[in-house]
Amino acid sequence: MIPMEHVLVLGGLLFAIGVYGVLARRNAVLILLSVELMLNAVNLNLIAFNAYLRPTAATGMAFAVFVIVIAAAEAGLALAIILRLFRNRRTANVDEADLLKW
Amino acid sequence: MGVQDAWIIPVIPLGAFVIIALFHNILPRKGDWLSILAILTSFVLSILVLIDGLTDYPSRLPGTRSWEWLTAGRFSIEIGFHVDEIALVMLIVVTTVALMVNIYSVGYMKERHGLTEEEARRLGAAGHGAEAAHGSLPASVPEPRYGWFFAALSLFAFSMLTLVLADNLLLVYVGWELVGLCSFLLIGFYWERRSAAEAAKKAFVTTRIGDVGMLIGIILLWRATGTFNIRDILEAAERGAIDPLYLTVAALFLFMGPVGKSAQMPLHVWLPDAMEGPTPVSALIHAATMVVAGVYLVARMLPLFEAADVTLVILAVGMTTAVFAAIVALAQTDLKRVIAYSTLSNLGIMMAALGAGSVTAAMFHLMTHAFFKAGLFLCAGSVIHATHVQEIGPLGGLLKKQKITGWTFIIVALANAGIIPLAGFWSKDEILHAIQTETHVTWFLVALLWVFISGVYTWRLVGYTFLGRPRDPHIYEHVHESPASMTLPLVVLAALSVVAGFVVIPDVARAIGLPGGFGELVYTTGGHAEAYHFNGELALAGTLAAVLGILFAWWLVADLRRPQRLAAAMPGPYHLVRNKFYFDEMYQWLIDRVVLVVAYGVAWFDRHLINDTGVDGTSNLLNYFGFRLKFAQTGKLPNYALAIVVGVIALAVIAFSART
Repeated sequence: MIPMEHVLVLGGLLFAIGVYGVLARRNAVLILLSVELMLNAVNLNLIAFNAYLRPTAATGMAFAVFVIVIAAAEAGLALAIILRLFRNRRTANVDEADLLKW
Repeated sequence: MGVQDAWIIPVIPLGAFVIIALFHNILPRKGDWLSILAILTSFVLSILVLIDGLTDYPSRLPGTRSWEWLTAGRFSIEIGFHVDEIALVMLIVVTTVALMVNIYSVGYMKERHGLTEEEARRLGAAGHGAEAAHGSLPASVPEPRYGWFFAALSLFAFSMLTLVLADNLLLVYVGWELVGLCSFLLIGFYWERRSAAEAAKKAFVTTRIGDVGMLIGIILLWRATGTFNIRDILEAAERGAIDPLYLTVAALFLFMGPVGKSAQMPLHVWLPDAMEGPTPVSALIHAATMVVAGVYLVARMLPLFEAADVTLVILAVGMTTAVFAAIVALAQTDLKRVIAYSTLSNLGIMMAALGAGSVTAAMFHLMTHAFFKAGLFLCAGSVIHATHVQEIGPLGGLLKKQKITGWTFIIVALANAGIIPLAGFWSKDEILHAIQTETHVTWFLVALLWVFISGVYTWRLVGYTFLGRPRDPHIYEHVHESPASMTLPLVVLAALSVVAGFVVIPDVARAIGLPGGFGELVYTTGGHAEAYHFNGELALAGTLAAVLGILFAWWLVADLRRPQRLAAAMPGPYHLVRNKFYFDEMYQWLIDRVVLVVAYGVAWFDRHLINDTGVDGTSNLLNYFGFRLKFAQTGKLPNYALAIVVGVIALAVIAFSART
């Protein structure tokens, strides 16, 4: 059986890649994809802890299902926002969406 | 009408005030009859209360009645009325003089006198045709605020009667401030004239200094006894329930009120200036009634002052005021101002009598003084009405043209000087008796000096105004006797000045239906009744001093070069007295050099340290940092994301390092 640490390392790597993507990308769609990557990394961890530490309980899986549902909703909302942004500004570059500053 | 119903007496003028103040423009004659009717009713009711109170004497006194005003926890304030012998005297005095002054005002206030042509034009522009000033006489116009004058008189009657009847210090204070307000309104009645407005302000501020002290005194007494009720406080003070030092401090604070209101030294400066008001007001408020409120309060609270051991202070303040004011009256040339200083002087001697512990003498003099001083002022008003001048310089010889005014003036003036058998003699005799028996002989000698000086200034006034030859024929030509509405009160007051003194003699008092002489009725609770005994030596000493004063004044003004030579012979003292011992200048200097300098300092501190540094400084600092920090907000998403990540990592590091 694959040791738990391997799964956790994989989850950590996926999360780090997601963080890098969020920070380094300028395209809003790619940032959204990176966020999804981070969410899935967390899901992986939850499943791993559930399977290895409390095999009889279903808590981790339940959390994972919640995260998936919320991620789907979030993706729909975020894509709509990005679409509006693109319609208004002819770009999806987040550096140019800086209306929130002073 | 029993003594318990005495509370109705002040309520009637209050109703008159409200009606006249609201509707004087639509009432016939602007409502003057309503004011007279109200005070006449109060006068009749006062007589009824007096009769009821003295029936089966003393079983019906004191009559009290009180209502709860407000309650907060165990603290409650009551509106209470208390009628005892002292209050009865005041009731009669106040309503009598107020009635006379109301009647007199109908004639006197019809026109406004002594206007400069410019003032007349300004008032005339308000819709009243100004009569052309004939010759050198100043112009006269119909009084534009005739109705308001009577409204204010009614308000004053209400306030004064409330003050007189109140059974607790809080209600006394309410009446006290209300009469102060009326005084302010009526001194400043001719507010178009700058000096009148200034005088009203001066009176208000000066008396307020005393009133603040009085309020502190009232609160101190309340703190010690838990009540505002005068009888309870007096009882506690006599029982020794209050710490002696505390009581002394409280009594001295309380005494500040009477010092301000009764114009004692050093807060006397407002009273002479109050003569800017119409003459009836001077007679009613600034001679007969309001200014004696201080004397009345001290008389009411005398057991407290005795328990607090401050009677010597009262005696000293009173006697100083009496002699000082009498001396100043010697060198004044304004008719009303001389009488004003005479009032000051008499108020001082009343205080001194209280300081000697004699409520009887003080209240007796208060009563007779009210009659003859109101008479003096109203006569002066009659002269001013006829001549339109107040300076005694251009007058003289008016007795020939104003027979009623002149003779009544001479009668009330002699009463003021204390000539037997007029009212002033009997009350002065009582005061001299009290001072002689209760205090050191020095005070008695000073009091005799006071009698002498009173004689001098009184007769000087008579000589300058009514005797001798007219000095300005042009004015003399136009002089005429005043209308009956003005001379009637003069005659009544002069008659009272003749007979009012006799009530001190027990046999006379019993003959007119009183249960006893003045001294047997009016004394402090716990004091002892004292029947009047004619003391030949004392009466002789007092009369001699007064007669000498009058003869000296007679000799002096018989030839007007004599006073001039006298003044030239000692210029230093003359100018000192002429300028009222420079009290006004001293206060002006004090205000300019001390009060204003301190005020500027405080204003600077407030403006620069409190406001600029404290309040505005804090907000400016926050504004500045807010302005600088706002540039940290780039609005770029990756920056925020980076900050979040860095923050999370930092928190994680902290959490891990804290665990290990």
